[in-house]
Amino acid sequence: MSGYIEVGYVIVLGSLATYATSLVGRERAARRRLPSTPADGDAAAAVRPDAAPSAGELP
Amino acid sequence: MRGDRAVRALGVAALAGMIATVWLGLFVTPNAVGYADGTVRLLYIHPPLAWVMFIAYGMATLSSLLYLWPRTRHARFDRLAGASAEVGVVFTGLTLVSGSIWGRTTWGVYWAWDPLLTTTALLFVLYLGYLAMRNVPGDPDTVARRSAIAGLVAFLDVPIVFFAVSWWSLHQGPTIDLATRHSYVHGSMAWTLLLGFVSFTLTYVWLMVHRYRLAALRARESDEGLESALADRWAEALQ
Amino acid sequence: MLRDAALVCGKDLRIELRSKIGLNQVAPFAATVLLLFGLALGPNRQALQPAAAALFWIAVLLSVVLAVQRSFAVESADSARDGLRLSGLDPAGIFLGKGAAIVAQLLALEALLTVGVALLFGAQLSGGLVLLGTCVTASIGLAAVGVVYGVLSSGARVKETLLPLLLLPVAAPVLLGATKAWDEALAGTPGQAGVWLSLLAVFAVAYVAVGSVAFGPLLEGA
Repeated sequence: MSGYIEVGYVIVLGSLATYATSLVGRERAARRRLPSTPADGDAAAAVRPDAAPSAGELP
Repeated sequence: MRGDRAVRALGVAALAGMIATVWLGLFVTPNAVGYADGTVRLLYIHPPLAWVMFIAYGMATLSSLLYLWPRTRHARFDRLAGASAEVGVVFTGLTLVSGSIWGRTTWGVYWAWDPLLTTTALLFVLYLGYLAMRNVPGDPDTVARRSAIAGLVAFLDVPIVFFAVSWWSLHQGPTIDLATRHSYVHGSMAWTLLLGFVSFTLTYVWLMVHRYRLAALRARESDEGLESALADRWAEALQ
Repeated sequence: MLRDAALVCGKDLRIELRSKIGLNQVAPFAATVLLLFGLALGPNRQALQPAAAALFWIAVLLSVVLAVQRSFAVESADSARDGLRLSGLDPAGIFLGKGAAIVAQLLALEALLTVGVALLFGAQLSGGLVLLGTCVTASIGLAAVGVVYGVLSSGARVKETLLPLLLLPVAAPVLLGATKAWDEALAGTPGQAGVWLSLLAVFAVAYVAVGSVAFGPLLEGA
């Protein structure tokens, strides 16, 4: 019976780990696709403040 | 970026907590009397998963409300709602899996239609629908407003579903009755349980930060994509 | 607001009477669902009769999806939706009107299906008042959520698959309550149906209220 418990732990932790890795991966890919320093115009700068919130910004 | 170090620290703390919970849960804490062999170990992950599920959906609903409220209307709340819903769905799925295994070890069946798990299953499809709706392409403001309203409409259903399912199963079936288990949870088990709740919550926050960032980056990407397309048109027109 | 509601309701019902989609497509669809259940669970009545209420309400639920899709399909023809927005009609009124039209269609459908389950599954029709009360409250609740999710998904290109996915989980409590209420009535203990009828009433009130408020902003964005 206890075999099920171990399998459960593996599934739960494995899924969380997979999700976390895919999330970080997608984030890195998105960051790479964007120009690193948008030198052009106010429009880009206006979009900026929203783009990378610090952890402190979240409630 | 300033926040990065804080987020990384958060991630490390979350990971450490999870590893500690697993180690304590699987190897250190004793088998409890009155549980099927080893089942008590699920106590350290199943309730924390369910707890995070509720926080996640609550957060999504709160963010939806804030987005709809004129004074606090800002794209960040729409992104928070979406991020929280997605993470919530992940945790809901895992709650179902761990609950199902609990059922298997305790009652011999993978699914016994008990009220808590059934409600969770309905929440799962409910919010899967919500996520599907968010992905429908359209003008971002429209999508955001539509999603916020849909989120609230869905959340309104949650207590109704819960009560309906509870009445429905009053006459039959087993329940994962956590209340009666309290007497068995003491000592190292209580601490591990607490650690479990804390670690999973930290993990949720860390996942949220990254999912939110991803949403913000994508929004920026589409904004800048639009601008570069406009810039191209200008260039063409001026030639 | 109520005048606008009556206007929209009348329009929808008139379109329905003229096109007879409900008669030609939705009702046969519901009947087909009952037949398929019969094929899957029959021919022995032992499995069918106790399940009559459940199968009835599942057929109704599936038909609501079609009815809602139809209700909004008439709006998207010839940019009728823009006409609706600009007409100056009170959005809550539009919501109530569309909802009422769907309720009317549902009640007609349910009458038909009642005959169907009595015939096909051998359901013993008793506790008529409870049966009727359930139909009315459930239909109102279903129509309310239906119109809300209908307008929500009407702008989307994937609306055919999105609407059922959104509507059916939210409607689960209605399925539950209505089935249990009917079970009690059919079993001869209509008195026990009280708690389920109140569940249906709460659902109906909640979603009519929410829908009236939310319909306006949703229509703007559609």
